[in-house]
Amino acid sequence: MTKCEDIRGRLTLYLDGELQSYERATVEAHLSECESCAAIFARELSFLNAVRESGPLHVASPEMRAKVQEILTQGSAERAQLPASSRTVRSQSRVSWLVAIATGLLVLLLPVVVWRIVREPETPSTTRPSSFALMAADAHLRHVRGQLPLEMESSSPRDVSTWFANKVDFSVKLPNYQESSGQEKLYTLEGARLVGFEKDYAAYVAYRMKERPITLVITSDSVAKPSGGEEIAAGKLMFHYNAIDGLKVLTWSDRGLTYALVSDLDERGQQSCIVCHEGAKDQDFIKPLKPH
Amino acid sequence: MMNRFKNNAVFGQAALEHIDALYGYAMTLTRDTSEAEDLVQETYVRAAAAANRPDSDSNLKGWLFVIMRNAWLNQLRHQNSGPQFVDLDTNEPITENQENPHVVYLRKLEQTQVREAIQSLPDAYREIIVLRDIEGFSYHEIASVLDCPAGTVMSRLGRARGKLRKLLHRSSVKPLAMSKRSS
Repeated sequence: MTKCEDIRGRLTLYLDGELQSYERATVEAHLSECESCAAIFARELSFLNAVRESGPLHVASPEMRAKVQEILTQGSAERAQLPASSRTVRSQSRVSWLVAIATGLLVLLLPVVVWRIVREPETPSTTRPSSFALMAADAHLRHVRGQLPLEMESSSPRDVSTWFANKVDFSVKLPNYQESSGQEKLYTLEGARLVGFEKDYAAYVAYRMKERPITLVITSDSVAKPSGGEEIAAGKLMFHYNAIDGLKVLTWSDRGLTYALVSDLDERGQQSCIVCHEGAKDQDFIKPLKPH
Repeated sequence: MMNRFKNNAVFGQAALEHIDALYGYAMTLTRDTSEAEDLVQETYVRAAAAANRPDSDSNLKGWLFVIMRNAWLNQLRHQNSGPQFVDLDTNEPITENQENPHVVYLRKLEQTQVREAIQSLPDAYREIIVLRDIEGFSYHEIASVLDCPAGTVMSRLGRARGKLRKLLHRSSVKPLAMSKRSS
């Protein structure tokens, strides 16, 4: 590729301010000595300026501004209930699946993930993580950075389950595992949102354990199949473990749904979970998952 | 550091500054004044109720746009109609048109012509032009709003601009062609 072709290929990035300073300097140096590229640059700049100067395309009316001002003035957590709209209620979910095991697995599997990391920190993944695992890790990171806000916030599993009704093509029913098991409350449910995956929506559920975020992403197993990473057989289930961008991601399928569990919990927090669950009723289930 | 947006008054004042941008984006999404106004209000209601507010002005606008787009997608799902955003990323090759002197015509265009051309773009193209060129979001920020990879943003933006160039070129050529025929 000639220098000119290289520079012209980067002109759009340059004009959009997407180049690093040293890359910008390279482009600018070339433009200062190449009339042909400089002419192309001038045309591109002129075009973009014409587009950018056409805005704003719309301006809010004083009435709407006043309404929003009122909303913001009264704004507080109590306003979480959205105003009723003329939405058409979607037909009932085509597939009815119970996710009763989801929250239980949340607690059960995180200790296993970190146990394995602690015991075998250098163990590489056998294969690349699945796109579903990558999406879950990316969504978790963006949520932590504040770029992916929750669409509903609640610590009630029932409310979260209800919120997903008519939004996804499967039934998300989160049991109140901690209360039903009588165990110490190790984590809190924070809320939920939808995330896009394979031209469909997956259910995104946010938890927090010892101030550390935990993400559970759920979709139909017709949309995503767990694959890649280290395979861990436990009972009738096969789990796939990957370390992605410093996060621990566990994916598995069960009863027509595929799950991804993402966290960055540290060793100490996980060990305390292991202690808590060593005597739990799920002992038979958790044993096969432990590293040998 | 304390998040100053935990103060409702401070947050409200900062959020209100983006109402025109949000209304413009709502119009881009809905193409309907009434629906756009409802969407703006719903966005602010959700934002006011959110516990995890951003901690800086630089993140606030993008955060509000994410809320708006999610709210709109939810509405579409309730109405059992999906957003018409598919296929645009694969149908047409990216044409940079760097050798084409469209800009000669563009210089003669009125601002309204550019606006009309933007309005006539397919939904996904219009949306990404608005996010990048009208609202000035970075590729990374647009990827967050659209919930897609940055590579998709770049390719879609390239196609959208290519399409916009064609529309502007067409609208500017037409009067010239007509005057030739009439002479």
